[in-house]
Amino acid sequence: MSTTSQKHRNFVSEPMADKPVTALAGIGDRLGHSLTEQGYDKAYVVLGQFLLLRKDSELFCYWLKDVTAANSKQADDCAQCLKDWCDAFL
Amino acid sequence: MASTQLTDEELFSQLKCFGYTPGPVTENTRPVYLKKLKKFREEQQQQQRGKGRVSGTSSSSSTGAPRPVKHDVRRLSSGRRPGLKSSVLGFSSDESDAETPLKRKGLDHMKRPSRSPHLQQQQLKIRAATPLNEANKKQYGVGTALKSNSFPNPDGQTSASLGWETGKRYMHDPESRDEDVSDEEVQNSHPVNGRSAARLNTSKLAGEYSDSDEEEVGGPGGPERDRRSLELRRIYTSGPFASHVDGGGSRIGGKNCALNPLGNRAMAGGREEFEERGKKGDLDASGGLRSHMLPRKPIYLSLGEDHQSKTGENNHINREEGASGSNMASIALRPRYRGSYSPTLSPQGGYSNHSSVPNHAYGPGTQKKKPTAPEDELLLQFKREEQPSSGSFSAHYLSMFLLTAACLFFLLLGLMYIRMRGSGSPAGDGVIKSHPFGSNFDSSYSKTEKDVILKLLLSLHDHLAIVAGHHDCGEQQYASRSLSREQVTQYLLAQDGDFKDFIDVSLEWIIRAGQDVGIRLSGELADDLVMDVSEISWLESTHPRMPFTCRFRRALLTVMNKVLVVAVVVGLVCSVICYVKYRWRREEEETRQMYDMVERIIDVLRTHGEACQENRDLEPYLPIPHVRDSLVQPQDRRKMKKVWERAVKFLSANESRIRTETQQIKGADFMVWRWIQPPLSSDKSKMWQGKAFPLDRRNSPPNSLTPCLKIRNMFDPDMEVGDSWDLAIQEAILEKCSDNDGIVHISVDKNSKEVSCVVSLSRVGSVFLKWVGSVVLLH
Repeated sequence: MSTTSQKHRNFVSEPMADKPVTALAGIGDRLGHSLTEQGYDKAYVVLGQFLLLRKDSELFCYWLKDVTAANSKQADDCAQCLKDWCDAFL
Repeated sequence: MASTQLTDEELFSQLKCFGYTPGPVTENTRPVYLKKLKKFREEQQQQQRGKGRVSGTSSSSSTGAPRPVKHDVRRLSSGRRPGLKSSVLGFSSDESDAETPLKRKGLDHMKRPSRSPHLQQQQLKIRAATPLNEANKKQYGVGTALKSNSFPNPDGQTSASLGWETGKRYMHDPESRDEDVSDEEVQNSHPVNGRSAARLNTSKLAGEYSDSDEEEVGGPGGPERDRRSLELRRIYTSGPFASHVDGGGSRIGGKNCALNPLGNRAMAGGREEFEERGKKGDLDASGGLRSHMLPRKPIYLSLGEDHQSKTGENNHINREEGASGSNMASIALRPRYRGSYSPTLSPQGGYSNHSSVPNHAYGPGTQKKKPTAPEDELLLQFKREEQPSSGSFSAHYLSMFLLTAACLFFLLLGLMYIRMRGSGSPAGDGVIKSHPFGSNFDSSYSKTEKDVILKLLLSLHDHLAIVAGHHDCGEQQYASRSLSREQVTQYLLAQDGDFKDFIDVSLEWIIRAGQDVGIRLSGELADDLVMDVSEISWLESTHPRMPFTCRFRRALLTVMNKVLVVAVVVGLVCSVICYVKYRWRREEEETRQMYDMVERIIDVLRTHGEACQENRDLEPYLPIPHVRDSLVQPQDRRKMKKVWERAVKFLSANESRIRTETQQIKGADFMVWRWIQPPLSSDKSKMWQGKAFPLDRRNSPPNSLTPCLKIRNMFDPDMEVGDSWDLAIQEAILEKCSDNDGIVHISVDKNSKEVSCVVSLSRVGSVFLKWVGSVVLLH
């Protein structure tokens, strides 16, 4: 499906390296701040969590909503972004 | 019952039971998996509900009148065995297998009394609520067993009917159509008691709650059910049950109402909050058969209250049930409640075994308290899940702050009121016994005269106070604050004829009194001090007494004014702070921009300088406006003007490698910048120029099969100069993949244009991606 945002495409196009967590699709300033406070300051840390949940989008969405005040759309976007990244690079 | 606190392994295995392979359960993933487990259980229940509805209707048709219990128990024993370990939502997963089928049987049993199919739903939902139900149910069974002195206990299965009877009792709604059935049930329950099916009993009770709710006539049952289903999903529910409950409570005629909520509460509540409220409600109920439940309350509490309304009959059995229920409640609840419950139990009925039952019940109850503690931990686990994020923390504190502010406001109001009142009421006015005139007064007059004088003065004082108060409040009928002597005389005579003689005397005494007696005397002109009775023209009160509304109004106004002033001051301070912050932030931003600009200028100048080194045709300086125009977009020039100015100033002051001078360019004078740093030694190192093409999915590598990568056309061997250019290339490659230590070997083939590189298999993709699209700069 081509309904991915520019951010999504940017993220998935290259290895995430040391990108901050706000580079993830669906994660803006507020969520990024909230994640950083909890220790998820880099995108790869969030990736780690995603992988811990066995790349399950649904579980990842639960987790993200728990940990931050993310809404469904944001969580879905983020999960999709990570999933695509994993498909490309893992 | 084993600990309801799920360990990681248990969570893991339970998730596996649902056919799902979970990842590792860590502290991060734990809440997520708990939620998943909850969802699985919900789905399971939904399936069961669908199945159960069918079986429920079939069972109800087959039951006869005399011993429906047996029938049901039989049916229950053949009922469906749970394939899964537990069907309770989330909180306790470690119930023994024996309990769960019983529990389920009990709920099936509940379907029996010709209830609508919805009941099934309700029961399952309610069952799903807390694990404490299990423990409490057990206790309930035990409690009922202990009451065996009242009820003969023929067989174990009859305990089921006991529970049944309890349920029936609850369903005993005078307006309900099932009254006949429940009467019959009540009869049947007499010989009932049992231990073995105690769990069944207790589980039934839970179901019965739903039954009785089902029986609720009309509206409350319906929306309540829906509410309950909604609230089950949440840990802390705030249902508007209070009003409903109160209405229900008032309908109760019997004492058992007080006890039943306890029992119900015990069944339902495993939560501390719940228990506290329950306790409160119970005390109220025992007092006045009304439950003053706080609005926020889990649904089970409300269920209990509903049952309160259901019981229309003062039944001996009912009371016993209630007693046992309350015992259970006391058992289930924290130890601190124990003491409170026993006194509530004792006034409830004159039954001798009441007191004995609690004691008995406490024994087995102690071991049941343990589940509540781990339950709460589990609750806390979920609570942690639902903890408000940092964003809503402020909202939480804001609400608390508003609450305290409101309380303070009302407190202030009260204080102001009191102060007003204090100022209004004269000191020691009501008692004529004490007077400020001294002992002379006492000695010079007889008692009756003294009384008359004092009474006169008192009435005068009061009258003046009222006049003054009314005047102060702005009422029209009292135009002036003080009364003339004639008016005073008139008034006093109207009060009492005896006063006539003593008016002058009392006035004289007022003058003589050294202290303020609440009346001020003045002469012809206002504020003249009078020394003699004859001079008195005006009398005024110094302690005006204002009417209540006036006082209140004034108090309110005063408080509001003060609050307003405080608020204005606070607002000013806040606004000042905000403004200062804003300015500071702006400053920071601009400084950052300025430094950024400075850096860019330096870069431009440096590159220009280096270019000039090679190309002698170029002028070694750059005019400042030209630099600006090349760095700043036309649309931004206006905005960045200030920043640019600051950058220029900074450069001229702080940058030593750039010299500002004036040059003539094409006939016009320009301020120019000259880069005066001598060029650094060129290291001739390979440099990556940048990306040749954007990197996206098309260019992403498929999963590569080999650990080798080959780079072609990276360099031209003919063009390379120097001895160690191959090393330079290798270094460039390594540098590019500096954080990727997957490279095992690099070899530069000098003859061809290729570089071969061996990379560990897992990293091939990432290494590739690092390089692809990059171009090597050849020096």
